[in-house]
Amino acid sequence: MSQFGLFGTDPWWLVIVKVLGIFVMLVLLTLFTIWWERRVVSRMQNRIGPNRVGPQGLLQSLMDGVKLALKEEILPKAAHRAVYWIAPVISATAAFLAFAVIPFGPTVSIFGVETPLQLTDFPVSVLYVLAIASIGVYGLVLAGWSSGSTYPLLGGLRSTAQVISYEIAMGLSFVAVFLYAGSMSTSQIVLAQEPIWFAVILLPSFLIYVTAMVGETNRAPFDLPEAEGELVGGFHTEYSSLKFALFFLAEYINMVTVSALATTLFLGGYLAPWPISLWESANTGWWPMVWWLLKVQIFIFVFIWLRGTLPRLRYDQFMKFGWKVLIPVALIWTIIVAAVRILRDQVALTNTELLIAGVVLILILLAGAWVLQGRAERREQQRDADRAARAERQLDLVPGAHPVPPMPSQTFEYTPRRSALLTTQATMKEAEDA
Amino acid sequence: MLKRPSITRGVPRAVNVYTPILVLGLLAFGFAAFSVILATFTGPKRYNRAKVDAYECGIEATPQPMGGGRFPVKYYLTAMMFIIFDIELVFLYPWAVAADQLEVFGLVAIVLFLVNLAVPYIYEWRRGGLEWD
Amino acid sequence: MTEAVSDFNLGETIVFWVCGGLAVLGALGMIISRKAVHSALFIALTMINLAILYVANAAPFLGMVQVIVYTGAVMMLFLFVLMVVGVDSSDSLVETIKGQRFAGLLLGIGLGLLLTVGIGSALTTSGDIGLTAANDAAGGNVQGLAQLMFDDYVVAFQATAALLITAAVGAMVLAHRERWTPRKSQPELSEERFRDGGHPGNRPSPGVYARHNAVDTPALLPDGSTSLDSVPGPLRARDDVRDVDPADVDEIRELTKGVDS
Repeated sequence: MSQFGLFGTDPWWLVIVKVLGIFVMLVLLTLFTIWWERRVVSRMQNRIGPNRVGPQGLLQSLMDGVKLALKEEILPKAAHRAVYWIAPVISATAAFLAFAVIPFGPTVSIFGVETPLQLTDFPVSVLYVLAIASIGVYGLVLAGWSSGSTYPLLGGLRSTAQVISYEIAMGLSFVAVFLYAGSMSTSQIVLAQEPIWFAVILLPSFLIYVTAMVGETNRAPFDLPEAEGELVGGFHTEYSSLKFALFFLAEYINMVTVSALATTLFLGGYLAPWPISLWESANTGWWPMVWWLLKVQIFIFVFIWLRGTLPRLRYDQFMKFGWKVLIPVALIWTIIVAAVRILRDQVALTNTELLIAGVVLILILLAGAWVLQGRAERREQQRDADRAARAERQLDLVPGAHPVPPMPSQTFEYTPRRSALLTTQATMKEAEDA
Repeated sequence: MLKRPSITRGVPRAVNVYTPILVLGLLAFGFAAFSVILATFTGPKRYNRAKVDAYECGIEATPQPMGGGRFPVKYYLTAMMFIIFDIELVFLYPWAVAADQLEVFGLVAIVLFLVNLAVPYIYEWRRGGLEWD
Repeated sequence: MTEAVSDFNLGETIVFWVCGGLAVLGALGMIISRKAVHSALFIALTMINLAILYVANAAPFLGMVQVIVYTGAVMMLFLFVLMVVGVDSSDSLVETIKGQRFAGLLLGIGLGLLLTVGIGSALTTSGDIGLTAANDAAGGNVQGLAQLMFDDYVVAFQATAALLITAAVGAMVLAHRERWTPRKSQPELSEERFRDGGHPGNRPSPGVYARHNAVDTPALLPDGSTSLDSVPGPLRARDDVRDVDPADVDEIRELTKGVDS
C-alpha cells in the first residue's frame, strides 16, 4: 500500500521521540485544559478562578496533581481489590492510546528523517479510535463495580449506558465521512478535505458528532454519571489519591481526543483555514500543527462554554434525546447522503431529477407523519380526558388551584380515605401522649 | 507492507505501522501502573474505620442487598439495542469505503440491511423500551 | 502464503506466542474463576488478544471489529446482565440440567472435529492466491471485504442479518417490562403527595447540635426530646437511627439553662 509508505518506516529513536512527544503533549494539554476550564467558567460566573500558583494560576492543576499524590490512599473494605486497582490503569492507558492515529501535520523533516507528524496510520485507523474507546469504557464500569458501594455502581452503570448510547450516533456520523473520503485512515481523510472541509458539505454529520462527543465524554450538559445531587461522584466516588487523578486525567485526555477526532474528520485536520490557506506555505513544515492546535482548542472552548451555560439534563430526557432524536436523524441523514451520492455518480441522475425525487420523498414522509401525528393527538386527548375525569372524582381542596395543604380555616369534603388517615393520626397521638 | 528491510542506512527501523502503538501503550501503561503504585508510598496512612466504609453521606453504609440488588432491566435492553446498532455500523463502514465500486446494487443491499435492522428499533420504540423514567 | 513462509518474521512470532498464550490464559481463567465478573473480564482479555492476532495477520479491519463488537458491545451486555442479576451472586454448584456434563463433552468434541475438518479442508483444497494479490484486486482489504459482503454473498449476508434480528427481538420480548398505567406527570405526583396530608415543607434537619453531623442522628427539640421526623425515611425503615447520648442532652440542657427559649 503505497499511500502508507512513510508510516511504519520511522527509525526506532524517532518512534520513541514521537511517543514521548504525544505523551508529554497530552499531559500538558490536560494540565492546561483544567486550568483553562476553571478560568473560563469563572469568568462566565463572575468569579476570578485560580490565580495564585504560578503566573495567572497556570501551575494550579500541576500542584493539584502533586497534592493528590500526597493524599492517603483509601481502599474500601468492600472493594474487589484486583479489579479496583486495574480500573484506573485501563482508563488512563486507553485514553493515551487513542491518540496514536491523530495527525498533527504533514510530512516534515526531523533530524534529517522525512516523517509524517503522526505516530502511525493504517487503513482502519478511525475504527482503532472507536475500539480503544470501547476498551476505555471498561475502566468506568469496572471502577463502579469493584468499589463495592451503591453510588459508584449506579454511576458506572449510567456512564456505560450513556457512552454506548451516544457511541451509535457518533459512529453513524462517521459513515458519511468515509463515503466522501473513500478511506477510514485519518491521514487520508484529512487530505480528502483539501478543497473543502467535511464540516461544510456534511454539516448534519458534523453537528451529530459534536453532540455525541459531549455525551461520549460525560461532560455537561450530559454529565449525569457524576450528577452530584444524585450519585455523589459517580463511578469514582470511592477512589482517592493518584487513582482518582488517573480518572481525571483520562477524562480530560478523552476530551482532547474527541476534539482532535472532530478536527481530523470534519475541520480539515491540520489544513490551514481559509484566509490563511491563501498564504502559500501555510500547509508546509511545522505550521499545520499550529492550525491543528487552534482547532482543537476551539472544541475545548465549546466544551467549557457548554458547561458554563447549560444545566444538566434529566436522565430520561438524555436517553430519549440520544435514542429518539440523534440516532434516527443520523440514520436518515446517512441514507440520504449515500443515496444522493450514488444515484448522482452511478445512475447519472441530474441534480434536478434528484431534487424532484427528494421533494416527492419528503411529501410522502410528511403525509405519513401527519397521519401518525393525528392518531397520537387523539390518543393524547383521550388520556387527558381520562385524567380530568379521574381528578374530578378526587378530593379537591381548593377547586382549580394547585394542590396545597389546607389553611387552618379551610374545611373540606370528607372522604373515607381521609377519615382513615385522621384515625391513624389520632391513635399515634394517643400513643405518644401515653 | 510489512516487507521492509529491518536495517536501512544503518538505523534500526520500526517493523510495521503497529509497533508505535505498542510503544505508546507500554509507556501509558507504565505511567498509569507507576502512579497507582507510587500513591501507596507517598500518601500518609492513618487508619480510621469510617474511611474504609462505603461512602454514604456520613451514615453507616447501606448493606449491599443479597445478590447485589436489582437494576432496571432497561439497561439490558439498552445494551441489546447497542449491539444491534454496533453491528449495523460495522457493516456500514466497509460499504461506505467501497460505495463507489459497489454501485447501485450495493446501495440497495445496504438499504435493505438498514431496513432489516430497523425492525427491532421500531419494535422497541413502539413497545416503550426507549422510555426511561 | 508462500512469501510468509520464506520471510521468517521475528516480531510476528513473538506476537503470536505472547498473545496466543494470553488468549489461552484468559480462556482458562474464564472457566476457573468463581466470580462471574472475573470470568467476563477474562473473556475480554481473550478477545483483545485475538484481535491483536488478527491485526498481526494483516487483517486490521477484522481486529478492530472484534474489539468494537465483541469487547465493546457483547461483553458490555454480559457485564450489564451480571449487574442486573446481582454482581456478587456466585453460581450455585448444583447442576439443574440432567446430563449436561455429558452433553457438553459431546458438543465440545463435535466442535473440535468441525473446526479441524473445516480448517483442514480450507488449508488443503483452496488454492491461495496470496494476500497482496487478493487485496490489490479489490483496491484494499476493506474494499475487498465489502465486495464479498455486498455483492458476491449478499443473500447470505441479508439472511444472517435477518437471523440476528430475530434473535434480538426474541431477547427483547423476554426482557420487556410492560407498563400498564400511563406514566404519572409531575403535577399528578405532587397532587398525590398532598392529597393524603403529606408534609408540605422541609422536615427538621438531623443532628443539629453539632456533635454528630450524620443524618442518622435525630434532631433535638427545644425540650430535649428527639424528633424522629428529622431522620430520613429509609433509615427509619431499616431501624438505623442512632441513639442520642443522654450526656449530650444533659450538656445541652446545661448550656441552654437560663436562655429564653
